[in-house]
Amino acid sequence: MGDIRQSLLPRDVLSAAKELLYHLDIYICNLLQSGRQPPQVDSKTLELVEEFILHAPKDRNNPRMSALQELQLLEIMCSCFKEQSRDAVRQLMFSALFSLQGNQADESRMTLLGKLVSMAIAVGRVPILECAATWLQRTHRLYCVRLAQVLVDDYCSMVPGSVPTLQNIHSASPRFCCQFITAVTTLYDLSSEELTPPSELLGMIVSWIQDDLRLVLITFLNTPLSGSQPINSLDITPLGGLVRWCVKEPLAYWRDKKPALTNGITGSEPDVGTLFSTLHLSVLQVFMLLPNILNEKGLFGRLALLQLEPLATLTAELSRMLDQAEKQTHMSSVDTHALSQLTLDRLAQALQVAMASGALLCSREDLRAICSRLPHNNLLQLVLSGPVIPHAAHSPIAHTPHAPLASHPSSHPQYPAQPFMTGIPFPFRPSH
Amino acid sequence: MSVAFDGNPAKAMQSSHSHPPQTPLSAQEVSQEIKSFINGVDIVQGRKLSVREHARCAMRLLRSVPACRGAVLEHLRGVYDEHVSTFLHNLETEGDSSSGISSNLEDIIQEVHGVLSEFIRLNPRAWAPLVSTWAVDLLGQLSSKHAGRRVAPHSSSLNELLQLWMSCAATRSLMEAYSQCLAAMLAWCPDACVDALLDTSVQHSPHFDWVVAHIGSAFPGTIISRVLACGLKDFCSHGAKDQGLVVMGGDKGSRVPKIGSVVGILGHLAAHHSESIRKELLRMFQESLSPSSPLSPTSSSSSWENSPQLRRAAVPFLLQLAAMSPNLFGAVSAELVELLRPPVLLQLQALLQDLPREELDNMLGLAVHLISQSPSGGAQVLRFLADTATPASVIISGPTPSPHEGVRDGCDRLLQMLLLHLHKLVFNRSDGVEVSPHCVSSQPQRVIPFLEELQSHIGQLCAETLRLERKRHLWLHQLLCLLSVYGGLSVATEAFCQLLTQARSPEELALIHTHTLGPRQLRQLLLNLATAIQSQDEERRGTTGAQSSMAIQVGTAVSGHLHDFGPLLLHGDPTVSHAAVRLLSCSPLPRTSSPAHLLLLSRAAVTHFFLAIRKRGEGSKVGRDGGQGSEAVNCSVLLLSRVAAYSPLTLKAVLQQLVEGALHKGNADLFGGQIADMSGAPVASPSVSTDLGASLLDINCRFGTVVNFSGSVWSVFHAGVIGKGLKVRTAANVPDPFWVIQNVQTLLAVTVQCCSSSGLNASINGSRSPFDPDEPAPINAEAAKVVAVTLVENVCPDVANGELSWPPEEHARTTVERDIHIRRCFEAHPVLFPLLQVVAAGRPALCYCSAVLRGLLATLLAHWEASREALSTDSPWHLQASCLLVSCMGEGQLLPPVLANVHEAFPHLTPFEVRLLLLAVWEYVRGNGPLPQKFVFSSEKAQFCRDFSRDGDVARYVAPIHSVLHKNIDRLGHLCWRFQL
Repeated sequence: MGDIRQSLLPRDVLSAAKELLYHLDIYICNLLQSGRQPPQVDSKTLELVEEFILHAPKDRNNPRMSALQELQLLEIMCSCFKEQSRDAVRQLMFSALFSLQGNQADESRMTLLGKLVSMAIAVGRVPILECAATWLQRTHRLYCVRLAQVLVDDYCSMVPGSVPTLQNIHSASPRFCCQFITAVTTLYDLSSEELTPPSELLGMIVSWIQDDLRLVLITFLNTPLSGSQPINSLDITPLGGLVRWCVKEPLAYWRDKKPALTNGITGSEPDVGTLFSTLHLSVLQVFMLLPNILNEKGLFGRLALLQLEPLATLTAELSRMLDQAEKQTHMSSVDTHALSQLTLDRLAQALQVAMASGALLCSREDLRAICSRLPHNNLLQLVLSGPVIPHAAHSPIAHTPHAPLASHPSSHPQYPAQPFMTGIPFPFRPSH
Repeated sequence: MSVAFDGNPAKAMQSSHSHPPQTPLSAQEVSQEIKSFINGVDIVQGRKLSVREHARCAMRLLRSVPACRGAVLEHLRGVYDEHVSTFLHNLETEGDSSSGISSNLEDIIQEVHGVLSEFIRLNPRAWAPLVSTWAVDLLGQLSSKHAGRRVAPHSSSLNELLQLWMSCAATRSLMEAYSQCLAAMLAWCPDACVDALLDTSVQHSPHFDWVVAHIGSAFPGTIISRVLACGLKDFCSHGAKDQGLVVMGGDKGSRVPKIGSVVGILGHLAAHHSESIRKELLRMFQESLSPSSPLSPTSSSSSWENSPQLRRAAVPFLLQLAAMSPNLFGAVSAELVELLRPPVLLQLQALLQDLPREELDNMLGLAVHLISQSPSGGAQVLRFLADTATPASVIISGPTPSPHEGVRDGCDRLLQMLLLHLHKLVFNRSDGVEVSPHCVSSQPQRVIPFLEELQSHIGQLCAETLRLERKRHLWLHQLLCLLSVYGGLSVATEAFCQLLTQARSPEELALIHTHTLGPRQLRQLLLNLATAIQSQDEERRGTTGAQSSMAIQVGTAVSGHLHDFGPLLLHGDPTVSHAAVRLLSCSPLPRTSSPAHLLLLSRAAVTHFFLAIRKRGEGSKVGRDGGQGSEAVNCSVLLLSRVAAYSPLTLKAVLQQLVEGALHKGNADLFGGQIADMSGAPVASPSVSTDLGASLLDINCRFGTVVNFSGSVWSVFHAGVIGKGLKVRTAANVPDPFWVIQNVQTLLAVTVQCCSSSGLNASINGSRSPFDPDEPAPINAEAAKVVAVTLVENVCPDVANGELSWPPEEHARTTVERDIHIRRCFEAHPVLFPLLQVVAAGRPALCYCSAVLRGLLATLLAHWEASREALSTDSPWHLQASCLLVSCMGEGQLLPPVLANVHEAFPHLTPFEVRLLLLAVWEYVRGNGPLPQKFVFSSEKAQFCRDFSRDGDVARYVAPIHSVLHKNIDRLGHLCWRFQL
């Protein structure tokens, strides 16, 4: 395919891009027909893509497209994906276009991808969203987060009134929607004001999950567990992120309220509390769904959807935030106390349900260790010292006793219950 | 506003006037909209969209498809441009608006504006950066593109431009949008906003100024500080190196993008907000010095104060700014100097000391440039610099405590560079043009504001100069010199008078002239003044006695620096040298002085004497300036005699040089001499030289067939080259005899004056010779000896046979060559005879001329012997020479009176008879050697005399005389008594 370069060179940017897309389509069809496994787009083609579609800055006399031309290119790509009926071809094409290559072209690749997905959402181009969902599964989480950021900016802040459009992706492509939620929960970790989700986004996510609890698990359900997951990709479910949201929310929103906020969060603050309560409930409900699903898949007790290490990080953050809350005096201590209790309650509930539903695989000693620095909470106390877990499959397992958790949970990479994983082909992902 | 809209007006109105749109478009509709927008064709109806419809379509996309916003904004550029075009066209067609309605897009512009401003309002963080960049860029593009339109006023008339563009809906809307963005962005990232403004301003430089001006006056405080901060950052990242060149090259902004527009913008704002600009600049300076204070209320999140690198660049940046804009500079300079107190200086030094040397140099250069261009506050700056740079010493107790050593060095360097720079400026002002005071006014010259300003502070400067601080004095003195040259006569006069009047002690006076090897014009002026004061003073001395200490002081000062003035005598400018001679001739000589200085002075004085004579001659020839010429000569004579009288050394030097000068080739014509060709080499006359260009072939043909004499010693004779005929005499340019006589007289006068007033009995203390003032003072023997020896050295080519006693006449043939040379000398230099007479008068000096006399006599004898003329008068020169020679010898008492009188007979004799007489002379001298020891000092006559009675009998030498007398008794009867023994 490298030989078409000469014919592309004299074209104007747009028609060259268009022609390359055309050739790419044919090339990928041939590739698939040849039955080579795995189907791999060669590097020459990737270079052509970078040169004529992404206009990577490495080429010295590479004319950049104007915004109008870029829009036309996006439009062409949209229709291109729409017209191609074979999913495999689309996937290969999408990955040829947008798989990160670790070179200079990645910046323009990300920019174009952001615009393409944003536009696909606007025009409801499902195939692209499906491809993007796969992309979100395979790509390093940092880039996933960037894509999510672009979409959130576009639909939740730039264009007023366009939230409904984004809302539609739930119906258009649940897989994409699920990956989007995972990316968004990874992005917004409530650690600062900037990393607090806009209320529009929050509302949207809550309503999605409320409407369809299984949405959260769709990626998990659809993913064959044999395939190898790339390192540092997004979690397979947004559960961890959602738990973090719900647990941190009372403290985080309380903290961000203290400077006079100018964006819309303050105004809708009471709603936010409600939204998070709803979300928390939904998350707990999703956990409740898990035992059946896991049992169906034969994975109960073997796959930890919620891992201990992020939880340890979360509890460490919580204890730090609680310390800060103690010191700050701009709220009455009564309020502070109520909020911190709410936080700890939610944590305890989530831990309890997750353990019970087999999403979290660990011993109570482990839990006690990671929660040792948290202040007292009745519920949490109960959970930590509570009755034997009802599921027989899980309870009798003795864990190797661990030393009390140090302040650096990351120093214990072997934390998760490895004995259960032996012999199971499911790829275990180290968390970092 | 009528909406001529035939597509779907209801929908358009809905989407443009209601927000947010109640019913978001379906995915299908969005897709169609995008297609329509891209193709400019209504996809549903398959019809081309009008501009208005297309724009509305774009707006719908903007509201519904976030990914399209880039494209939409790009499209809107076209719409805005269209509107501006129409607007201007309507203006140009004088409001012929019938055609304008259809294409008037004002409604669309308003819709767009409404949407954008709503977006900005709802989410400033997302939209303000985007829209501000877009708006500014578009504004720049529009202003540039339409700048050439007929209705568009010239870019310099800012107000008209502003009016025009603000009356146009498109540009006004853009401007408002930008203002809105700026207002929103100031809260969190003003830099980005102003950056864009500056970038665009650079790109569309003059046409965009109205935007900047408008924005600037809307947000003066922030714009000023932001513009400065941006400029500083840019300056820092570009490095100061390139920018140094900018100033020097005068080419603004070619390489350095932002600083130029920073200056431009601040320039605009200066009209109404100069006070705040000044404050901001000063604040920048101060904050660059103080270690970062994060709690400072002014420092924003993006504040430059927190970066040490930026803080370090602040001072160079400010200097650069000031260099590029006189306005800004003027605003800051005064207060800046006030700010520079010792602690601040220390901070400054601490801040700047680790800058690379190159940059420091650059900065210094810039500072110097600035100071020299500063129109006001110069005196203050100068005082500050001098105060700071003056080294701490026990003598000084200045108002300021002695500053840090490093600071002092810095100021010292700065000051010296400043002086150097001013020096260059002053002297490059008028290359080649003689700077006379008139030129300054008549010819537009570069003004140096610093000096202009200092002109009014001369008194103060002089006072400072006279402070007994070595360095300060040097600086200020140099500066005063420059100032005097710059300001011309009046300034120089004032400066000098100030100096003289303010000086209170000899030490201070002495300061005045140290290191005066300065600019020539200044010298001239100073000397003029000195002379004037001196002469006034002399008049006064006559009346009020030695009252005027001033003159004496000046005199002492001048005399103390005689050696400095000496070279000025030879200054290329005659007026300068004239002034110098005037000054020197009336100033007393120092009590002690080093021989080297004295020699230099005397050499200069003599050279000047000859120059003055020549000048006088030329002056009188042209008929003007005669008075001045002769005055110069008089002065010169006076000076020479004074110098000669100073010491034996100077006497010797002066006389020696006088004689040498008189005989010098260049001066010979002054005294009627002809530059004869002494070497005997053939003179290449034009005709001969063309012959010499004969072909090489000819020469080669002759080679070998003829004995080749060419070039060898043998072929060259005094009369010419063998084979070439007689040597062609160059036609002598016969000078005016009157002039020659006058010159000779002057020379003699000065020589005599030198000789007579000199020696051990010289009249330094005013006591003239004890003789009758009518009598000329006797010629001093020593002085005459000097003249004699010098004469011999110059006339006689070798020292062989140089002994005083004479050989037999036959031996003269061994010295033919030398004798001919001597004779030629006398021929060429008529002045030799008068000089000989002077020597003769100073007995026994003539003895030392023995060799010359002998040579001359020998050739005369040869001539008379060979002469076939009937009468001696037929060879006038030889006759005259013979007469003069004999009379001189008589005067010098080499001959007894009997023999000395023979010359009186010469004109009446035949050549042979003349020879006979001369032979007798020779014989006498041979017999009675011309030896100085034969002279004894006669106290009666106050001179040496020879007692001829001690010598041998004269009678036997007189015999030939008597024979000749007898032979010609008919004609010589009346002379007989002269030859009685």
